Amino acid sequence: MQKFQSPLRILAIVAVLFIAWALRANAVQKLSIDYDEDDYMRAAQEYAHLIRTSSWSGFLETNYRTEHPPLAKIVIGLSFLTAPEEKLVADRPTTSEPNKYLPRPLVKAGRTTNAVFGWLTVALLAIINPLAGLALATHTFTIKYVSQIMLEALPALMSFSMVLTYLQFKKNRKTGWLITSAIFLGLTAASKYLYCVIGIAILVDWFMDAKDRDEVKPFFKQALLWGFLGVIIFFAADPFLWADPIQRLRESVFYHAGYSTTAAEVQSANFPFWQPLNWLVFSPSVWHPDVFKFSPDFIIAVLAVFGLSRLWKKERLYVLWLGFALLFLLFWPTKWPQYILTLTVPLSLSAAEGLAEIWQSIVAVFKAKKPIFNKKESRQAIPWLVPGLIAFAVLTLLPFLFQLGVSLTDFNSASIRDGFQGGIWREISGGLTGQIEPVTPEFPFRSKEVQFTGISGYQPVFEFLVTGQGIFIFNIFWMVVSTSLQVFLGFGLAILLNQRGVKLSKFWQAFFILPWAIPEFIGALMWLNIFVPEIGWLSLAAKKYGEAFPLQFLIGWERTPSLWFLIFLIPAVWYGFPLIMLAVNAGLKTIPKEVFEAASIDGANSWQILSGITLPLLIPVLLPAVIIRGIYTFNQFYLFQAFPFREGTLANISYNIFNPSSRFGGGQFAVSAIINILTVIILIALVTLFNRRMQTREEFINA
Amino acid sequence: MRNISVFRQIITQLILLLVGLFILIPVWSTVRLAFDGSLRGRPTEFTWLPKEFSTEAFTKVLDRPYQSVEFNVLLRNSMIVSIGAAILAILLGISLAYGFARFRFPTKNTGLFVLLLAALLPPIAFATPLYIILSLLKIRTTLIGLVIVYAAFAMPFAVWNMRAAFQAIPKEIEEAAYLDGANHFQTFLNISLPISMPSIAVTAMIAFLMGYTEFAIGWLFVDKADNVTLSMATYALVNGQFSGAQPWSYLGSLAIIMSIPVMVVFIFFQETLMERLLFQETS
Repeated sequence: MQKFQSPLRILAIVAVLFIAWALRANAVQKLSIDYDEDDYMRAAQEYAHLIRTSSWSGFLETNYRTEHPPLAKIVIGLSFLTAPEEKLVADRPTTSEPNKYLPRPLVKAGRTTNAVFGWLTVALLAIINPLAGLALATHTFTIKYVSQIMLEALPALMSFSMVLTYLQFKKNRKTGWLITSAIFLGLTAASKYLYCVIGIAILVDWFMDAKDRDEVKPFFKQALLWGFLGVIIFFAADPFLWADPIQRLRESVFYHAGYSTTAAEVQSANFPFWQPLNWLVFSPSVWHPDVFKFSPDFIIAVLAVFGLSRLWKKERLYVLWLGFALLFLLFWPTKWPQYILTLTVPLSLSAAEGLAEIWQSIVAVFKAKKPIFNKKESRQAIPWLVPGLIAFAVLTLLPFLFQLGVSLTDFNSASIRDGFQGGIWREISGGLTGQIEPVTPEFPFRSKEVQFTGISGYQPVFEFLVTGQGIFIFNIFWMVVSTSLQVFLGFGLAILLNQRGVKLSKFWQAFFILPWAIPEFIGALMWLNIFVPEIGWLSLAAKKYGEAFPLQFLIGWERTPSLWFLIFLIPAVWYGFPLIMLAVNAGLKTIPKEVFEAASIDGANSWQILSGITLPLLIPVLLPAVIIRGIYTFNQFYLFQAFPFREGTLANISYNIFNPSSRFGGGQFAVSAIINILTVIILIALVTLFNRRMQTREEFINA
Repeated sequence: MRNISVFRQIITQLILLLVGLFILIPVWSTVRLAFDGSLRGRPTEFTWLPKEFSTEAFTKVLDRPYQSVEFNVLLRNSMIVSIGAAILAILLGISLAYGFARFRFPTKNTGLFVLLLAALLPPIAFATPLYIILSLLKIRTTLIGLVIVYAAFAMPFAVWNMRAAFQAIPKEIEEAAYLDGANHFQTFLNISLPISMPSIAVTAMIAFLMGYTEFAIGWLFVDKADNVTLSMATYALVNGQFSGAQPWSYLGSLAIIMSIPVMVVFIFFQETLMERLLFQETS
């Protein structure tokens, strides 16, 4: 089998390499000059000049834009030797607009060098997994930032090499690989500090591995040596540090902390802290429509979510890499899009696994044995089913089909008269039978008569949700963070209350249910009384107590996306945790007391009981409840609707865009229909997940 | 197992107290507003307690909370809409639920999936097409229209939960009835229905609460003051509150009045409600 496959595999790899180079070469040619390219070109020009004049000692004192170590700039400088020397480009502040008049030959030389590194990264990945290689080869953000004079291409290649050599060491325990890996660590650090976060993922994986083998002590020794060697290589590759290592290193590293909190361009961008996730589903094709005709970035990000568990089983380091890099980017205050290149390699791998996972599920559905039905029993069921089915069809299914039809038109509040006089039906039926040609009207729709648009409305709405406002990612991220906090609090409280001999436990339990017993929208209004800008309890308290008020930083939350998120999390957790607490309580009752007693007699402490007995027994029982709670949170509507803003979940956007008397320019019936249909597609994925867990739970209970 | 140590008891109680405060903050903030007789419009200073204790706001909202509509009318509308929707959802769904619980037939799994999906969709996903359809039928702004919309929200959930209730009945009981010569319908009417009545009642209660606490879809559909429900009126007070036309104590007092019956129901039926709302199969 393997032999038969390998020629195909080689063919696939070659195809991927071809595609990768074609796309990168195209980007090198066509991309307009971007921010920062003039800075790094100037830095590289200085190095090129030093090499031309053989003034090697100049390297000790040269590092334009000292916040980044010099290696990547030196390498670009080397490529400038192939072109005639040009006047040094002007030194301008980081806030200035892109410099459109950079010397073309240098632009080409520098960009091509970076593109070669980018291409090599794809090559290494394609050898491991051609499909992942294809993903990385076509990922438009990756193409963009490895095909410009930026500092991403070299550290991305170096860090990936560090991982690959470490994995070789993990497999065959040969010290040579470890030394090579340490060298790449040093080179990564000398190219761009940010990519060192991948080293942390390696250390964690290494530690877990050592723990499994019971070799923790040798691990510490080896890891220390690995890091030490990395530091030596880093210093060797950073001549600027030689003259005054400590002072210059400190300046270089601490620049970033200052930059993120004071630089005007960071402040004015005002990105939410989850912006890196937005970048993952975003595509630079919006900025460069002539360069990127097709963008798979969104699909790659979605597939990657489905591939995580498979990738973990195959090689957990890649998942750790993805996780640590993402976590770091979420907390790192600067949110530039190029930073996601730290994780597009594991992202592509996970996307490839995700595709395989989905493919397997589809095959499994088709291969599944069809259950045999008793004809008589089926016939007996009919009279029971028919009345309800008719009601269900009239109240739910037909309206939904109607909605599907409306989404293919530009129906809005201006065309409401025509629509209600048969216009909707005329356009849908005419359009679907091909009698009416689809039109693509301007967005938002304002036509006086309903028009058939076909699916042309979907793309702008999708872009509005995903790239324009980032609502899609907000909604998913909201679900994950809010549900996790609810589960954490609900679970923790249930465990606390179920300890033996807790005083007043009945009282506390009854009291903690209170938020859940208050209707959601009334709870939201209660919090509105506190948080509403200017006149809420919070603002009044800030006015009264001035600077001494510890929550002063929350004032003005409505203007900062990250605080906005935090403020809404508070009522969401407040409202949501009691349900989880009750579910955990009920779950705890199903575990026989003898189990705990036996463990305690055996000398287990309470932490061991919790992690060794309670959690493993509870998780399968609780998972369906958590997923349902997650779906509720995904659809959270009344909380956001109570506050006087337009934003919120997809449901809020749909409502406010639909509502003809909305304060926010509503009456876009067709757009709302499209949003609803996208919501249904997302929910199908979530409910499928729930269904699967439900089945495993039933197996668990029956076992 | 022994009881926890004194130190752990203290730490536990401290954490519980902190969570208790967290729960109490918004409730207290609302109570403080509701009983403050000094408010003529927006609150202008931070206070822990009402400045002038008064129950005037309660008497006002129990009379005419919204425009010139009487409280009784709002309450009546709320009851018509929520009870009507609950009954409609149960009646339309009960045989379907029994069919799903007791028979095996092709496409059953697909049907259950669609049902679950419909039960978990946000109300707005149903509301927009119904808005257009009910407008076409010229009943959009009536209470009947609202009953239909709320019944549409509640029905998938009601079917799913009644199915769980019927499934929990041991098959042997029904089989005994068949042996005695009863047909499916008689068995359902005389055996299954009475046994699962408590569960059906809980399902009806949840369907009732959906309509009782809904305001956004209501405001989308209704435009006559006479057809406004209690929760719609509560939400409408927010606007009056922001413009400073009404004292902030009104919203607080109406919110409290509206919540008390719901709280009583939730505290009494907490376990059952939890199971139903989390789509759990046990009962």
